[in-house]
Amino acid sequence: MFSTFLEYGAAFFEATVFVYGVSLLIIYALLALLSFKNIQEYLKKESYNDYKVIVASPLAPGISVIAPAFNEGVTIIANVRSLLTLDYPKYEVIIINDGSTDDTLAKVIKEFSMVKVDFAYDIKISAKPVRGVYKSTDKAYAKLVVVDKENGKAKADASNVGINVSSFPYFLCTDVDCILHEQTLQKLVRPIMEEENRRVIATGATLRMVNSCVVDEGVLKEIRAPRAFLARFQEMEYIRAFVLGKMGWSKINAVPNVSGGLGLFDKEIVIKSGGYDPASFGEDMELMMRMSRYVRDNKIPAAIRHIPVTLCWTEGPTSLKVFMRQRTRWGRGLIQLMIAHRKMLFNPRYGRVGLLVFPYNFFYELLAPVIEFLGILYYIALIMTGQVNWPFAIILLIFVYTYSVMISTLAVLWDQLTFHYYKDWKDVARVASMVFIEMLVYHPLIVIFAIRGYYFQLSNRKHTWGNMQRKGFQKTTSKTAPSS
Amino acid sequence: MPNILVIEDDDIMLKAIRNILSKDGYTVVTAKDGKEAFEKLDSGTFDIVITDLMMPYANGLEVVSRLRTDESKKGIGIIVVSSVGNEETITEAFRLGADDYLKKPIMAGELLIRIRKLIASLNSKGGLITQNK
Amino acid sequence: MWTDLADLLFQAYERFGLLPLFIEIALAFIVIAVLATLIAYGAILWKRYKGFLQDKRTAFISPIIEDLITEQVLLNEKLGTDTPVDDIEFDQKALANLIYKKAFVRQILIDTLIQYRKNFRGEVGDLLRKLYLDMGLQKESYAKLKSIKWERKIKAVVELTQMDISISDVTILPLTNSGNASLRAAARNAYIQLSKNEPFKFFDIATEPLLPWDQLEMFKIITTTKDIPIPNFSRWVSYSSNKSVVTFCLKLIAHYDQQSAVPAVMDLLANKDHYFRASAINCLGKLTAEVAEEKMVRIYNNQPLICQTEILKAMGRIGSGKHLEFLKQEFLYSSNFDIRMNAARSIIKHKSEESEKLVEELMQITHEENQLIIRHCKNPLIKY
Repeated sequence: MFSTFLEYGAAFFEATVFVYGVSLLIIYALLALLSFKNIQEYLKKESYNDYKVIVASPLAPGISVIAPAFNEGVTIIANVRSLLTLDYPKYEVIIINDGSTDDTLAKVIKEFSMVKVDFAYDIKISAKPVRGVYKSTDKAYAKLVVVDKENGKAKADASNVGINVSSFPYFLCTDVDCILHEQTLQKLVRPIMEEENRRVIATGATLRMVNSCVVDEGVLKEIRAPRAFLARFQEMEYIRAFVLGKMGWSKINAVPNVSGGLGLFDKEIVIKSGGYDPASFGEDMELMMRMSRYVRDNKIPAAIRHIPVTLCWTEGPTSLKVFMRQRTRWGRGLIQLMIAHRKMLFNPRYGRVGLLVFPYNFFYELLAPVIEFLGILYYIALIMTGQVNWPFAIILLIFVYTYSVMISTLAVLWDQLTFHYYKDWKDVARVASMVFIEMLVYHPLIVIFAIRGYYFQLSNRKHTWGNMQRKGFQKTTSKTAPSS
Repeated sequence: MPNILVIEDDDIMLKAIRNILSKDGYTVVTAKDGKEAFEKLDSGTFDIVITDLMMPYANGLEVVSRLRTDESKKGIGIIVVSSVGNEETITEAFRLGADDYLKKPIMAGELLIRIRKLIASLNSKGGLITQNK
Repeated sequence: MWTDLADLLFQAYERFGLLPLFIEIALAFIVIAVLATLIAYGAILWKRYKGFLQDKRTAFISPIIEDLITEQVLLNEKLGTDTPVDDIEFDQKALANLIYKKAFVRQILIDTLIQYRKNFRGEVGDLLRKLYLDMGLQKESYAKLKSIKWERKIKAVVELTQMDISISDVTILPLTNSGNASLRAAARNAYIQLSKNEPFKFFDIATEPLLPWDQLEMFKIITTTKDIPIPNFSRWVSYSSNKSVVTFCLKLIAHYDQQSAVPAVMDLLANKDHYFRASAINCLGKLTAEVAEEKMVRIYNNQPLICQTEILKAMGRIGSGKHLEFLKQEFLYSSNFDIRMNAARSIIKHKSEESEKLVEELMQITHEENQLIIRHCKNPLIKY
């Protein structure tokens, strides 16, 4: 009786995993095709598009660049300077000093001759109190605004203050330590300006690792693949997630998320959706969900767009400990979000988001680590009881392995189609080689850390990190890599 | 002949202006971004600076502002050449102390005339920096 | 277990059909995946190799082309003399260089000439155009125009427009209604710039929206091309049913300060679309249309917030001083922050004796937050 129950259970589990696995593979194949098509269309448009027109135009919409900073004293000046030299005719740079305990604020005030001003703004999204707003007495820095606020233990809170202070209809959400391409604003605003029937509420672009790139005073001099293994895996993973994943989703107007590292947002919709949630572990995706809900509830035909070019370089963690914290946090964020918005699952009221984006994230992002983990346990159990059909098992393993290698290799290819990011072909090889060992080395880590995150969230563990998590890894590596 | 520093991040434009000015007999030094511009400004003396607005490291307005607040460089004539055409930026440049503003696409002849005029007015104000030395 | 696997693969080879379905699928996919991966690697290598070659070729060609343009155009001795540009002859020997016969060199040449044209107008610009014509490069562009690929068509249209070479109406007009939005936009721009008689004709017939991105280029072309007869844009404000055409015309009216359009723009104040009304109000403000003030104040209370803030801004731009009391009331008693902010800004913007007195008075009687608003608006350091 008990054993038949187990057998049924096993059969059911096998069938489910099989269906699950096959559907996942099909989805990846479809994404690869969709993103390829989307990238081709994008490249065709780029081939004749002239961005100089928007730089020279009085019709360019204004954009507020919002960059929170916490204890960035070492690099703050170079990073602010780099934000001040973006190629765009009408923008402001809002640096939010999130209660730094170092000399971040003092350095900025001195370097850019800033003074405290009486600054009136409306608290459209509630956030921690502002201690002061600073403006430069030098007209050359007229577009710089520095806001000093109390630490809110979350980037979300700082970003919200930035939104309150900002004066333009669009805002770019980024981190002060991200290195942005000089054309970032022009390229991100274009999808908003050339959409015919929908209101584009957010656009994102690809992010990469800055770890081994040559950076001089906040200006990117040479793009290189990370040398450190952990960062190299992340570069690979980012390329796949952005170039293949999000570009594919963008084609069918189902982008699940615009990264917190770089995204251009429609401010009105963000404010009406309530802004970033400081209590969330994945505030970028959480906001996206609420924005999607808002536009649906108010019957605004909307879209979220993604472009394949890399416009932002960010520091990836190189120590396992910091990496674990980051991914655990992401895991927490995901499950927290899924629980909070569970009503959207298969809810036709929310259109594509309810029927496609949310279910995909639920089954293939949230449940994937769990199913994989259980699958491995199951296999171990089978091995222990000697029930494994080894030839079949090995064939299936090879199948999954070759398939994942193929998908990731395609991602590298798609990425190379958009632009020759690395000058040296050896850098391509460095990233591409990760494809072959990812499944054995990197992937198990991600699964374990995600499950760790789920466990923490479900057992309601208090998070003792905040800024440490967000910024901790900054201290482990230096900004500029040696050029050897 | 007067020394001119041309700051411009577009390679084609940089070379073109250099060629046109050299042909007219000016001594031309070029810089392709804000950082290089400040280095050249510190190491050499110039009568006129022609600067673009958007470029890496430091934008043109910073160049203008730095020249106007530096006692030793106050007398340098500044011409901004930029594709940015919105009124705010143009007035901003003038308020910071730029002497002239040319919007791209420019007319080469016009640039030369404006340089000549600027030199004449600098001369009447107390002479060119390079010639006073 | 490995011998089992070997057996199985051998079996698979011998009797593929006898294996369980999922193993068959898996085996088939392994083959596909391995092949696809290999092809992808091949493609990456090929792509990089091609890119490498192209970079090398460009690196070799570009200096030659730049020298040609520098010597023949920029430093041409005849420039600045009385010789008309059309009569300036190039050094035929330099132009006859054999490399200019190669297709890819000609394309680089076209692209480079366009780059220069974006930086230079006037005589140099005209001479660049003459070089393009003398080298017969328009043939390349016309050939592309006949391509079935729309991106090549666009490239052709852009090249011809940049070089100011006319395209016959028969060719360009159908393209202005193309189903492809980008081609449509390029064709419209070309039509405006190149059509000698009625450049704005398609405003009458355009049914497709004029996207904001395309407006950028069109605005540039309208405002920078010489000899375009600028029409009275109020015509379309009154009669066009295409909203994007109307909003675009509002921007042009403001740019050209077409005072005669004021009545037509005022008619839009009764339009049902909020965004539309807001643009109209914005335009009236930029026209400093004093006649519209009364009406705007009258309809103010029934407007949504975006129109109300636009009205307040317009009051500041017009600055007649007749409605300072209205601004004062809004500033003192509105519960909405944006309204108070805009009212304060507009009062200060008047810069009259009366308004300055009013600001002083307001500082005395109003509460702390409003005082902060005034100090904010008065501070010259705060740009936006």
